[in-house]
Amino acid sequence: MSEELIETIKKEFRSNVFDETVSNNEHYLTVRKEEAVRICDYLYHRLDFPLISVFATDERAKDGCFRIHYMFSCKGDTFIIIKIKVEETSPGFATLTHKIPASNWYEREIQDMFGLVPVGHPDPRCLIHFEDWPAGFYPLRKDFDIRTKPARVKGEYIYRRVEGEGVYEIPVGPVHAGVIEPGHFMFSVAGEPILNLEIRHFYTHKGVEKLFESLSIDKAVFLAERISGDNSVAHSAAFCQAVEKVACVDIPPRAKYIRTILLELERIYNHFGDIAGIATDIAYPFGAAHANRLKEQVMQLNEKVTGSRLLRGMNTTGGVRRDIGDKNELISKKLATLKNNFRELMELLISSPSVADRIETTGGIPNEIAKGLHVVGPAGRASGIDGDTRRDHPYAAYPELKFKVPVRKAGDVNARTLVRADEVYESITLIQQALSRLPEGDIRTEVNQIPDGYALGYTEAPRGETLYWVHILNGRIERCKVRDPSFCNWLAIEYAVLDNIVPDFPIINKSLSLSYSGNDM
Amino acid sequence: MFEILIKTLKTGTVTIKYPQKPDIAPLGFRGKPELLPEKCDFCGECVKACPPGVIWLDEEKGEKALTLSCCGCIFCGRCEEVCPHGAIRLTLEYELASKTKDDLLTIIRRRV
Repeated sequence: MSEELIETIKKEFRSNVFDETVSNNEHYLTVRKEEAVRICDYLYHRLDFPLISVFATDERAKDGCFRIHYMFSCKGDTFIIIKIKVEETSPGFATLTHKIPASNWYEREIQDMFGLVPVGHPDPRCLIHFEDWPAGFYPLRKDFDIRTKPARVKGEYIYRRVEGEGVYEIPVGPVHAGVIEPGHFMFSVAGEPILNLEIRHFYTHKGVEKLFESLSIDKAVFLAERISGDNSVAHSAAFCQAVEKVACVDIPPRAKYIRTILLELERIYNHFGDIAGIATDIAYPFGAAHANRLKEQVMQLNEKVTGSRLLRGMNTTGGVRRDIGDKNELISKKLATLKNNFRELMELLISSPSVADRIETTGGIPNEIAKGLHVVGPAGRASGIDGDTRRDHPYAAYPELKFKVPVRKAGDVNARTLVRADEVYESITLIQQALSRLPEGDIRTEVNQIPDGYALGYTEAPRGETLYWVHILNGRIERCKVRDPSFCNWLAIEYAVLDNIVPDFPIINKSLSLSYSGNDM
Repeated sequence: MFEILIKTLKTGTVTIKYPQKPDIAPLGFRGKPELLPEKCDFCGECVKACPPGVIWLDEEKGEKALTLSCCGCIFCGRCEEVCPHGAIRLTLEYELASKTKDDLLTIIRRRV
């Protein structure tokens, strides 16, 4: 399948493909810079492959050039990565955003972090940098010292304006009341309906990708684990899988099963928390209290199983650090009661007219918008996108387990709530299957002497597809590109709120379950 | 409405009387790391392995001192894993709130 595909692409673009390398399920095609847009457009529109990441690397030490990678997820568990060379002296590259809206933020991220310019970008404003960041400082370039503290300069950031009689603006944040991370939301409204929303983020950008480059691999696992606090397992597993792929290590079957159980426990408590959050914001405290109670029960179970409520400290390169075999019965029993309790709660929630009134048709994301922005996870599946990394690019023990991928079409808060509810039941059956088939044996393989190379690790986090592209050189991390699901999904909120009323914004926001921390890396 | 009442009564009270009644963490909990001075030989393996770098070794006036700060500790247990002498281990202690950073330091010393 994949060979045929590559042949088709090579035939279509002949002399524009310079080089081809294959490692595992990743096909890298280096193409002529001027042709990248045409080739990506072909992959996206003709072959229907979603663009899942765009990122740059600084390879000037090797040949004086940067590289930009356009990563596509293909059928038959393969990835195609289109690579172009960009010279430091001519830092422009043609924007892809007109053809594939999903590349919008990636290109602006590359502009801020590498100083490469997406020529013709419809919104060339800075994304990660703030207006007071001086020109010429590009943190992910290799010659940028991590300790650099550039002097701040005067600058201006201009928001989109909606003008007209009776139109006014509601600026919200970045400092919010309550315990929430910072983000700015600029609403333009006419009365209650929202005419436009512009979000601005990255207030807590921490330079995580740069930090990876200064850490040893064993320590980097713990950094990955902390990028998005409630998606710890998904992040650390994706990182470990990338490293294991580079090292050509197949982890023991028992470790694969344990990782799967942890990944699903993480999904369950996240989904409970999200359902609780939605119930809170629609003023249904009864539902919120019960959903939070269930979430708490899973977190206490997590603590008994792993020693950490957030399931931390378990993943490591080569497997897992603790066995959970003796917790088999504890988990099974707890899941059985949780399942009944959750079913009762969902029946009450769904049958309540006051709940339906607030969540049905609220915050709709049409399928074409979701597809264009590459909205992932439950939010994407609630808008008719039938995608799930566990099934499409199976990892850990998923190839051996049976599960359904719930998909709904309505794209509203209701659909997102129901997709999560359906996924909870699937997660429970996945854990039950994994526990009943838990293979005997080791939980860890030593990962020593990692050869130079790069690979993509991926998981389906509770929020959706999570990607780690890790390049290892001389036993160190040369580049670690992290793509958190929220980086894809944040922009969807600008569409989801249109024509909704301001009081529904919190519900829409909650139903998308967006991470600030995973986004503002 | 009636169903909500039934569900509420059926659920009953789920909270516990903490802190009046202690809430003991389960075995295997990743709590405050403890240093065992009689086993430690100040080799520094834990210092090298600690991801957030909150364990450090000082040597001054013929005395070695190993300091562990819970201020920044991520309770990963790497120190416990790498220690060749079993001189450091995670405990069940989690009530670590403190008004000073000094309260979060554990220091062990030895004359050389």
